[in-house]
Formats: sequence, structure tokens, C-alpha cells
Amino acid sequence: MKLREYEAKNVIKAAGIPVPAGFLIKSPDELTPHLAALGDAFVLKAQVDVGGRGKAGGILMADKATGTKVAQELFGKQIKGLPVKEVLAEQKLDIKHEYYLSITVDRSSKQPLILFTEAGGVEIEITAKEHPELIRKVVANPLMKDLPPFLIRELLSTAPKEIGPVINKLYQVFIGKDALLAEINPLVATPNGIFAADAKIIVDDNALGRQGITVNRDLSEREREAEKHGFSYVELDGRIGVIGNGAGLTMATLDLIEYYGGKAANFLDVGGGAESERVKNAVRLVASVPSVKVIVVNLLGGITKCDEVAKGIIAAEIPQKVIVRLAGTNEAEGRRLLSEKGYEMLDTMDLVVKKAVEVTA
Amino acid sequence: MIYGDKKTGVLVQGATGKQGEFHIGLMNAYAKQVGGRGVVAGVTPGKGGQQVHGVPVYNTVKDAMKEHDIGAAVIFVPAGAAADAIMEEANAGIETIVCITEHIPVQDTMKAIAYARMEGASVIGPNCPGLLSPGEVKMGIMPSALFTRGHVGVISRSGTLTYEVVDELTRAGIGQSTVVGIGGDPVIGQTFVDVMQRFEKDPETKAVVLIGEVGGNLEEEGATCTDLPIVSYIAGVSAPPDKRMGHAGAIVEGGEGDAKSKIARLKKHGVPVASRVSEIPEMVRDLFRCGC
Repeated sequence: MKLREYEAKNVIKAAGIPVPAGFLIKSPDELTPHLAALGDAFVLKAQVDVGGRGKAGGILMADKATGTKVAQELFGKQIKGLPVKEVLAEQKLDIKHEYYLSITVDRSSKQPLILFTEAGGVEIEITAKEHPELIRKVVANPLMKDLPPFLIRELLSTAPKEIGPVINKLYQVFIGKDALLAEINPLVATPNGIFAADAKIIVDDNALGRQGITVNRDLSEREREAEKHGFSYVELDGRIGVIGNGAGLTMATLDLIEYYGGKAANFLDVGGGAESERVKNAVRLVASVPSVKVIVVNLLGGITKCDEVAKGIIAAEIPQKVIVRLAGTNEAEGRRLLSEKGYEMLDTMDLVVKKAVEVTA
Repeated sequence: MIYGDKKTGVLVQGATGKQGEFHIGLMNAYAKQVGGRGVVAGVTPGKGGQQVHGVPVYNTVKDAMKEHDIGAAVIFVPAGAAADAIMEEANAGIETIVCITEHIPVQDTMKAIAYARMEGASVIGPNCPGLLSPGEVKMGIMPSALFTRGHVGVISRSGTLTYEVVDELTRAGIGQSTVVGIGGDPVIGQTFVDVMQRFEKDPETKAVVLIGEVGGNLEEEGATCTDLPIVSYIAGVSAPPDKRMGHAGAIVEGGEGDAKSKIARLKKHGVPVASRVSEIPEMVRDLFRCGC
């Protein structure tokens, strides 16, 4: 789950990385008591859970005289469709130079990867494409608590030495907060020292519990509901509901829908070994989406038993048409149960998907 | 064979749990069918002295190693204990460690894999179905009835999608040498490259089916590190960005790891990519037909 900027900044501040003086406000009025501390010029930043908020008008400059008015303007906005409920009011920094620093999980080396460039202030993806030589990279041994000084020297090269401690402190944040990404962009040099002007932290969804995070904000309400049942669920915008067992098979089913010219309404992986009650819940959940006209169930039984799946589909008693492909363990019994009730069954995933696309065409 | 054969003794960590018990039964039924050793020992701390399907259970991996010749381990313990289990097995000297467990935090996985590497062990997974060499050995949870022995290796990030492909291959009369599910997490022990390098040295394997998905770029690394003929399939062409598609590792992030660009890069390297799973058997036949 992605932390909001003020949350990420609180985390790195607690780790000893300097951040600009800032205050979280929940209404324009709350700005007034902080005006003295914010100084002459400051920045108002909408705390919304979307990327690219700067370009979408979510970051506004203000000063003592205009502050409240600008805050009213920002609170009245929608940023990429999201209302602004929280704003971070932050001192404006006197920026002399911008750097980029990030730590991610490197799939290839299976270790934390640290990226640093002195050519900050530009989108890192653009620098990576046009001037990859300007980005310095090292991987860290995850068994070590601290980054060894030589790695920090390699990263810094000619950059100011005072950035070194910031790199190691961000590494502590990355490890301690179960981050998949910890990024400071930009990290800035000012006459008063080095500051993190922006910060981004993504926490591993598999570690939310031990990080004390109870609600995954990255998920929609229905996605959270599905999570409670133990399903992996993603909302999409088509009309064909999809239920499969296993992430890969379910993804392949969605791809097949696209291949035949249809559009899936969702991704739902019911998981391994699902019993009839789970299948019933899955079918009902997908059927509750108003746009769903037909549901494709694609199940390859291994640990999952086809007769349990059949019972679950029947027990769900939903109004939409369900087209089923069952194969594997207890296939014959599953088919018998469904055919008794008049469900449409086809032998392969190609056939069920083709049929569903025809039904919704 | 890669990773093990009939003679490999397997240890199951988490032997007395529901999953562990169930799969010891299935693994040993398969071992009996093919005349292999199968699961020879189980480990659950505090349950030493018990038996599961006639398999003796020990308190620690080292206790089990004193009594049995063990070459591989399969882990069924909960996410909070799985990284520790990997390290215990690596420390005890087990060479191949298959971790079935899902939902292990990535930081734990990185530490366990770094530790296992230091001890000289290979980790398959986590969040994987394990591996099966038809007629030889099954380490994990793959449904053995779908498999048949032959010369095509399969490497996949998925579980049931792998079974789907294996089923298609078997129905088409194409047997498999070894099928490896490497896992759906962002950080996994054996990657496409590692398994591909084993297939290169394996006289049983003449061609490889590589089943990837959105997230990262390790499919490309795997497909380009070998001279073996390959057919590939990438799931997630229709996956939206920044959404985890069931697997923790199946996510298009920062515009990277999407299926279409993966497919384009694979094709650029001359690797045929199937648009549908059902096309794979015919494409594998084509590989053998042209003798390339």
C-alpha cells in the first residue's frame, strides 16, 4: 500500500532525515494557526491517493496574504476524480540543487537496489532512458543491517558527503517499514542543508499486519470485501464476470476474453482447494456488480474438487447466466450436478470464453 | 533430471499441519507409483516422535538429517515462519528447498534467499506449486495425473495455469522432462535463468515451455540465456497498470513489466510467443519439426 506524502515524511523524519517544516490540515481554517511558522512563502499539497497530482493541479504555491484563499481553492478541487480532504502545508525550500534517491526490490539480484543520481529534478524514467550513465546503482546484502560505507561512497562519488547518512537512514526505513519502494524525489540541497522535498513509500501488502496498518487504501470497497473472503479480486470495466482458480489461469482467462473481442468485468481468483461455500460467495460477489451480464467460471481441479465448485455455483442462485468449464478432480460428478440444473458447460477455456463474448456482444 | 529423481529423499517442513499432512499423502502415493523414495521425514517443532502417513516427524531438520538421507525439502508452514524454515533447511545442508507458502513479506524472503545462497542451497518459490519430474519425483502440490514423461521442460510463475499447459501437452502426446513452478512473488529463489541453466545440462530436456506473466523482466533474461528451443506464453496482456493480479509479483509498475512489451522483446529475440494457451502444443511440435 502506498503511504500518503505526509505519512511517508513522518516516517523518514522519525528516521532522522530532514524534511521541510510542514503541517497537515483538514480544512482551510486550520491553516491560520500555522501561518507564522510557515513563513512568507509556502506550498499547499493535496494528500490524495493518486499519482501525478502536481500536473493535475494538486500542488499550489501560497504566501501569508493569499494562504487561506489558496487553501479554500485546493479543498474545493477534485484531483483525478478524488476530493481533497487533507492538505500538507509546507515551508518553501530555497533549492540550490536537486538529487534523486530511491531503494527498491530488485527481482533479478533478489536484493535491495539503491539508485542515486545528481541529475535530479527530471522524471527518473526520462533520465534512465536518455542518460542511464548518470544513475548510479548498487545492491545491498539484505542480511546486513547497515549499508557498508564503501557502497555509499560508490553511490555518492562527487556528490556532497552529507547525503551519505541520508542514504543509510532511508535504507533503515526501507528495511524497518517492510517497503517495496522508498523514494526521495527530489532530495534537495539548500543553504540550510539537505532536505527531502518529497517522499514516497510503498509498504508490502503481505506485511501490513506487522506494520500496524489495518486497512489497505489501495483497494476499492469491493476489493476489500473480496479480500475478507480470501479472494484476489481486481475491478475492471467490462461486462463478463470471471472466476478462476489460480492467478495465472484467471489472468489467462481475462486475456482470452480480450483476444475474442470481449471485456472482463473483474479478476477473481478463488484460490486453491475452494469448497462450495467459498465458490458460492465468489459467484455472488461477482454477480453483485451491476454491469456483469454473464459469468465465466474456469476451474482446473487439482486440490480443488469440481463437485464442490458445482455445488457452490448452484447454491449462489444468481440471475445472470453462468458458463462453466470444469476439469480435473471429481469432474464427472461436478458436471452431473450442473447439467441436472441446466447450466451451460463447455470443455475448454477457449469455448467458454468465446460463448461469453457472444452472449455479451 | 534437474533438482532430484527417484533416489531423492524428501523432507516436509510443517508435516503435521493440514496442508503438510495432505500433501505427504499425495507425494508418497506418487513415489509408490514410480518406485521412488518420496517423503522420508517430516519436521514440526514440538511434534517430534509422531508419524504422518507412516512418515516419522522430528523437532528439527538436523534431527531428521541424522536419521535419513535427505536431498530436498518442501515447506508448508505459515507465512510468518516460512523464511525461518528456509534458513533452517539451508543450514542443515539440504540442497533443494521448495517453499509452497504464500504471503511471506518480501524483506523476509530476501533475507532467507541470501542466507540460503551463502549455505549453497537452491530455493524454489516461495508462493509456488513446486516441481514434478514425471516418473521420477514430485516435490510439492502439482496434480500428477496430468503429467506424462517426455522431453519438454516447463518453467512457470503460476500454478493452475501450468497444469493447464501440462494437460494440453499431455493430450497432444508431448511428454515433460521436469515441470517447475518458480513462484508468483516478486522475489523468488530460482528464476527463469537458474532453471533454464539446469535444463541446458539436462540430457532429458530438448525444448522448454516458458510461462510468464506481468511484472519484472526475468522472462526475457531466461529466454535469452540459452540455446534450447523455447515456446513462451505471457499472461496478463489485459492487466491494468498498478494492480496486483492475484500474485504479489504480477504487477505493472512505473510503466514496466507489462505483457505487451515483454512479448515484443521475446519476439525480437526470436522466441515464439503463443497468444493462447491452446496454441502451445502445436508450437512445440513446430520446434521439433524444424529441428531448430
